[in-house]
Amino acid sequence: MKIILKTGIITLLTFATFILSTTNVNAQTKSETDKTYIKIEVDGLSCPFCAYGLEKKLKQAGSKDVLIQLEEGEATMSVPKDQQPTEEKLRKIVKDAGFTPKEITFSTTPFKMKKDEK
Amino acid sequence: MKNKVVFIIIAAFSGTLFLFSCRGEQEKKAEINSQWKFVKNIDLNNVNPIGVVAQGDFLWLSDVDNNRIVKIDLDGKIMESFDGFQRPMHIAIQKNKVYVPEYTSDSLKILEDGKVSIYKLKEKPDAIAGVSIDGNTAAAVDFYNNRIILQQDNKVTIIGKEGHKNGELYYPTDVEISNDLIYVADAYNNRVQVFNLNGNYVRMIGWNEGIKVATGLKVTDLQVIIADFEGNRVLVYDLNGNLLQIISDKFNQPTDIEIVSNKMYVVNYKGKTISVFKKE
Repeated sequence: MKIILKTGIITLLTFATFILSTTNVNAQTKSETDKTYIKIEVDGLSCPFCAYGLEKKLKQAGSKDVLIQLEEGEATMSVPKDQQPTEEKLRKIVKDAGFTPKEITFSTTPFKMKKDEK
Repeated sequence: MKNKVVFIIIAAFSGTLFLFSCRGEQEKKAEINSQWKFVKNIDLNNVNPIGVVAQGDFLWLSDVDNNRIVKIDLDGKIMESFDGFQRPMHIAIQKNKVYVPEYTSDSLKILEDGKVSIYKLKEKPDAIAGVSIDGNTAAAVDFYNNRIILQQDNKVTIIGKEGHKNGELYYPTDVEISNDLIYVADAYNNRVQVFNLNGNYVRMIGWNEGIKVATGLKVTDLQVIIADFEGNRVLVYDLNGNLLQIISDKFNQPTDIEIVSNKMYVVNYKGKTISVFKKE
């Protein structure tokens, strides 16, 4: 009897853990798929006034998580899928901020940061 | 006889006065021409400084990457730290008030005894890169509008517009009011420009030295000192723009300069250091 009870509790706990972890993964996946990730390569991104100027302008375009990487000459950000700006609009923002935009990449998954790869 | 004595006394007095004034001029000339000599580098603990101002034997720094203002002693030890500023740039100080321009929010904030208030600008800027306060006069650098907002009580004077000619600005980053003149670090025109309080162009400094980006400046009673961010140099001029000294090899993206007790402190953004110099 004791053994059956013990096995039952372990099974229940295992099942609960499985359910919880699956829910978590699903939630995370859902939140990530709701977003568009954007990477903008920029020419002339050398000083903090330039970098944070571009950050300011991109935030005004609707992103809350703009990340400027001076060394790489890149800006990455995410926006809700239904508010995704066009490439043309992004190019204008970058130009208005005083830079020449190079390649702009849209992705459904987050970009790997070069500093994370090190 | 009486007249003769009076004449001799006056002549002696005038002569002494003349000698003293000559000596004063000579000392002033020597002071202007004396060279800055490197002393040491101070490591900053994870501070990426843009602006620096002195308060007694302490320095205030704007730590732009970490969105904070820090107060350090002259050995670089952080004494106080105030978070929550949105990309603070070239700061200013008057009495106990530290004026903090927020690049991202377009607000000019005042930090006093740990409390933050707002200084209202009557013109809307787009990215405030620097500020200078002199009594009731404030000058704010309006980076994206390529101009300086000069606010004297209720009067607002706009200095400069986008361009490359005399009196025009191209992405200015720093400003200082000194002896009723406005000195502007005209960063991407590679020079410093001087204006009067009416906004009229007075002179240009630094054009001949091939400055790459004139990011920050300091004006003393005798000198104008410019930080060349991309050129990793500091250039020293007299107030008329005559070159006195170029210092190189000691910097890693210098952004601003402060003078305390005859020592010059140059903050390095990338190097996360302060380079210290003294007069020879």
